[in-house]
Amino acid sequence: MGNTEEEGKEKEQQKYVTFQSGNEFFGIQIQYVNEIIVFQQITEIPECASYIKGLINLRGKIIPVVDVRLRFGKEEVPYNDRTCIIVLNVNGMVVGLIVEKIAEVVEIPDENIFPSPTIGKGDASHHVFVKSIGKIGNSVKLLLDPERLLNDEDVAAIEQMDTQKSAETGE
Amino acid sequence: MAEEFNTEGMLDMYLFENGQLLEQLQEIVLEQKDADGFDEESMNEIFRTMHTIKGSSGVMMFEGITALAHKLEDVFYYLRESHPEHVPHMELVTHVLDVADFISAEMEKLQNGESADGDPKKLIAGLDKFLASIKGETKKEKENIIKKNVHEEPTQFYLAPMYTEASHFYKIYLTYSEGIELANVHAYKAVYALKEMAEDVLYLPEDILTNEKSADEIMENGFKILLQAQCTEADIRAVIREGYELEKVEICECTPAEFGRGFDCFGSEIQITLDSAEKDVKEKEEKPKTRVEKPMAPGDFVIESKGPGKQKKLAKDKARKQEKASFISVDVNKMDMLMDLIGELVISESVVLQNPDLRVPGLKLDNFNKAAAQMAKISTDLQNVIMSMRMVPLTNTFQKMNRIVFDASRKLGKDVEFQMVGDTTEVDKNIIEHISDPLMHLVRNSVDHGIEENEERAKKGKKDKGKITLSAKTESGKVWIGVTDNGAGLDRKKILEKAKKQGLLDPTRDENTYSDKEVYQFITLPGFSTNDKVTELSGRGVGMDVVVSNLQAIGGSLEIESIPGVGSTMNMKIPLTLAIIDGIVMEVGDSSFVMETGIVKEFVGIRDNQIVQEPDGKEFVMIRGEGYPVLRVGEWYGMKNYHADTEDGMLVIIEVDKQIVCLLVDRLVGKQEIVVKPIPEYVKKVKGLSGCTQLGDGSIALIIDAAGLLE
Repeated sequence: MGNTEEEGKEKEQQKYVTFQSGNEFFGIQIQYVNEIIVFQQITEIPECASYIKGLINLRGKIIPVVDVRLRFGKEEVPYNDRTCIIVLNVNGMVVGLIVEKIAEVVEIPDENIFPSPTIGKGDASHHVFVKSIGKIGNSVKLLLDPERLLNDEDVAAIEQMDTQKSAETGE
Repeated sequence: MAEEFNTEGMLDMYLFENGQLLEQLQEIVLEQKDADGFDEESMNEIFRTMHTIKGSSGVMMFEGITALAHKLEDVFYYLRESHPEHVPHMELVTHVLDVADFISAEMEKLQNGESADGDPKKLIAGLDKFLASIKGETKKEKENIIKKNVHEEPTQFYLAPMYTEASHFYKIYLTYSEGIELANVHAYKAVYALKEMAEDVLYLPEDILTNEKSADEIMENGFKILLQAQCTEADIRAVIREGYELEKVEICECTPAEFGRGFDCFGSEIQITLDSAEKDVKEKEEKPKTRVEKPMAPGDFVIESKGPGKQKKLAKDKARKQEKASFISVDVNKMDMLMDLIGELVISESVVLQNPDLRVPGLKLDNFNKAAAQMAKISTDLQNVIMSMRMVPLTNTFQKMNRIVFDASRKLGKDVEFQMVGDTTEVDKNIIEHISDPLMHLVRNSVDHGIEENEERAKKGKKDKGKITLSAKTESGKVWIGVTDNGAGLDRKKILEKAKKQGLLDPTRDENTYSDKEVYQFITLPGFSTNDKVTELSGRGVGMDVVVSNLQAIGGSLEIESIPGVGSTMNMKIPLTLAIIDGIVMEVGDSSFVMETGIVKEFVGIRDNQIVQEPDGKEFVMIRGEGYPVLRVGEWYGMKNYHADTEDGMLVIIEVDKQIVCLLVDRLVGKQEIVVKPIPEYVKKVKGLSGCTQLGDGSIALIIDAAGLLE
């Protein structure tokens, strides 16, 4: 019984929610995804990182939303009726991810997953967020590391700056 | 399986109830720690508490706790019954607190799934010694012993009563004349008369004052009294005379052992004495015998003590119990769930009520609107109730600090008084969980560092006792919890010296340019302690930094004020997450903001010519001849679509910390009770915002923290 359970878990781990941003397809492990909701009114928060678009009210729970395009450093595109919010739960932190278009839920077996190719050490644009690459037939999905997506050094740096600032103002 | 579950439930209940009892116990003890002794009521209360704990621990088979509780119960039994003089009160207080600590520790073990294996022998020995010492005292003064309220004590059944060699024991049997009304009142008169000379009086039926039916029982079965007194039979007869209402008084002396057995010795004895007397009485006697035995069955005493045994106290006891029963403990998760659901309900309500389908021209909606208003009212009430459910007064937390002050001050040999102000301030439950540790540190620090030694105080000419004041209030959306002492205050010079030694000072800055606030802030740094000696309580330099980091974790801060020689105040400023505040909703651009109603002084629409701009861009507005600084919220936060034109906007004049500022917003929406929710952690702290809230239509408004805005 333990075996099948483990197998089931493994299968679950191989499932990815994929979405389209620009011309590329990205995937997030399904275990991180709480739900997918249609785009809704966002309340802006002043003075925070530009990719944090603001707050939404998810059935009484207030969660921040991040525009994935802005997070990747691309230019903003206007939201339309295909725009969706993927509600992620990463280590208890619930954050919405605004994506242009939801694609599908796919299963990518481990053997079809490869580390993302790099050009030297300086190539860090996607690399920070993309953990690996999944292959389905001929198409390629960039598999994201949700933890880094929300919490990378970038954020840590901002945080540090903030605490320093508050320490200074506190004195 | 089912049985297992059952015992678990019992353990939970046991822990919960006893936890409450212990809290009450500490409260009582600390309330009277400065008195010369416990008053009657608290003694009864402590006795009862120990008795209950003993009983329930016995049932759960926690022998250590049972034995210890029993011993303390013995001590209080003696105190209560014999009223010894010269009881070393402090020693007694310590004993009681030690016992409470032991039991608390054991209960914690149980809670963590360990077994209650603590050894109470040492404490029991201590109590034995204490009991022996006060008994020794009283033997000499036994002449003075007058017993009061003895009739309230049914628990004597299983405890050997205290007696001295001069004591005699009597069994008294009263038969009342037929046709007498209110035999119970007559019986009480007799008891009352006997109490004057008695050391101990027990009687049956016990509930003569509270139970009118006892009159019938007395008429039927007679009235039985067990008396312990230093008097002769003649003395008793002098007090209780046979008269027109009292048909017969029978008195016979018995041994202490018989006395200890209670009323079951009655049956046999009386039977013998009555053999020659009235046979019908004997027959009647048979019946109560079986009834009487019941309360004395071993193990039954727990229930019995709460039973009809305590006439006067009974009413009070019952009220207390009811009060307790009206509280239940609920899983916080369930409450959170309920709250979320209610939030959803409110949103779906507005979706229904403002449904576009209803906007059909010519549609009559009178009845619908009536029903809708009713529904809106109910959902608002519902929201308010769930909010208030999470709010807990700080009283308990403060009460615990009382204990810490007491312990610490005794350890350090300082006289410290404890005072609470505003302890009924309500705070969200999860906030309370976070502040008790920091608060404890602060209180300990104040006793240890703040308050001077007794001699030093005397030298300084400080006449009043050392005093720690805990205060709480809500202001501008935050809870302020202050720990104030009237001690020496912080030593600026010493702190600066130390800071210099540790290289904390900016070498380019003159020492004197540091403000007091800045200097005091040094003591919150890790490893910083001005106490030269490391004591058990503090001085290791951990503490203040822990306090600060704990507070920061919940978005709070610590402010230190101090006046040398007068004392210092540590103010914890804690956000009121989840609290409801009365707020003014306003709009700037596409966003809504909320501000606490309390700080808003007025709203003014102004003309451009009232605004004066300084060359550096700072603006102020002249209102009634006074100039106030103006803050354009839209511009300040770099928002889009806000009204740049002053005359389109509305000026909100607020006052924080006696500072007046005007905020320019686009539009006022209205006044509303709002629920403060924290801004998700993911979004880093934004200056001037203390939280967010959900408005009635489901949209989100940001809460402006005026004090933060001004920083």
